[in-house]
Amino acid sequence: MRVLLDHVTASRQSWSLEADGIFTPGIHLVSGDVGSGKSTLALMIAGLRSPESGTVRREEIHSTMLSFQFPEFHVTGLSVSEECTSWGLEPVTAIRQAGIDVVPETPALSLSRGELKRLHLACVFSQDYDLLVLDEPFSSLDCPGKEQVCRQISGRSGGITVIFTHEQCIFPAIDHIWEIVGGSLVECGTVPDALLQWQHAPPLVRRLVGAGTIPESITPEGLREAACRTRG
Amino acid sequence: MQDPRIRLACAFLLSIAAFISIAGAIAAFLWWLVFTSRWKSIRHFRAMLATFLLFVLVAAVMVFTGTNGLSYLTRMTAILLVGTWVYADSRPGDFLATGTWLCGTRMGFELGMIAEMAMGVAQGLSDDFSRIRIAMAQKGQPWGFRRILPAGRILICDALRGADDTAELLAMRGYRGGGTLCTRFSPQAPEIAAGACATAALVFAFFLR
Repeated sequence: MRVLLDHVTASRQSWSLEADGIFTPGIHLVSGDVGSGKSTLALMIAGLRSPESGTVRREEIHSTMLSFQFPEFHVTGLSVSEECTSWGLEPVTAIRQAGIDVVPETPALSLSRGELKRLHLACVFSQDYDLLVLDEPFSSLDCPGKEQVCRQISGRSGGITVIFTHEQCIFPAIDHIWEIVGGSLVECGTVPDALLQWQHAPPLVRRLVGAGTIPESITPEGLREAACRTRG
Repeated sequence: MQDPRIRLACAFLLSIAAFISIAGAIAAFLWWLVFTSRWKSIRHFRAMLATFLLFVLVAAVMVFTGTNGLSYLTRMTAILLVGTWVYADSRPGDFLATGTWLCGTRMGFELGMIAEMAMGVAQGLSDDFSRIRIAMAQKGQPWGFRRILPAGRILICDALRGADDTAELLAMRGYRGGGTLCTRFSPQAPEIAAGACATAALVFAFFLR
């Protein structure tokens, strides 16, 4: 099972993106500046947008899900109940899994962005996709919400998970790091070695690496453990 | 056509002409052939085709029930062509400028602003529809005719919610009603000719109904 990006390009006016690489089973993190093309790349990996040139091959992948940054983009039901049913879920169970305090008859679009995001992610993680692409899964969530998403990502039974994010503090156990630099997708490698190459690393990771203490992982626990090893 | 006043006036006159009689509809169609960039002025060809098919369906039902479906189809097609031209030629601020010029800084400004907001929603509709299609496809619900109604319900609810948000935003920014706008209009000779021909089409439609 893998996703192969072969000389993939996309462009718009003065902006352009090139991507080459292979996404294998595991958790991949893709970082990049605002407007660098992360969402465009997410769409292409998920097969919802065709590249201008090159090919995206999804090998042995039978089910794909792209979770958009804005949860409203996924809403197809008027009420929370209809929305849960549209995912094939029993509403009360889905609401409980999302950890939100609403009744099933509540209009879906009247939920706050954070509540809707939690409900949407609960629906997404209720299924087992071969390829799960998450575009800014942590946006609109508070710290407990982000930690819950990390647990859900780490709890996936297998498959390829690609996370596109600006998150700086709370990460699941990432296996591979990629970043978009100067209009190109660059593979930094596998954690922890990738942390030495990662230009968009969060300040804490940069500081630890600068101090010569390479975290084994970038989960909160991994970073805490590395910080405890740092002298001074 | 640069001058929004003439453009909107032409659309209004031609729509009435087409609605009044078949002769008016033919005149409106001829006007569309002469004064617009014709097929190039159609931005959303699929949406236009879908609307046309809807008219064909209604016309077929009318023919079936013994009324003049062909007349209905001809007149509605002419109105559709004029409507798509106005939509494609519109620029942000056109309705606001024309409304304020026509009905003043209070009612005109507000009517213009409402029209601008409606155009904004209309322009976002095709994107919203695409998103709902993608969302349904991702949930394993194939897109089809039966899915249009639920999608429409969501779009309407979303538009109402957006209108609420906009109203709150305007109130928070201190908007109490009305406003001034100092637009300079510079009608060109061909535009004046187009306006005169649209008026003639209406007169023609009125006398030949």
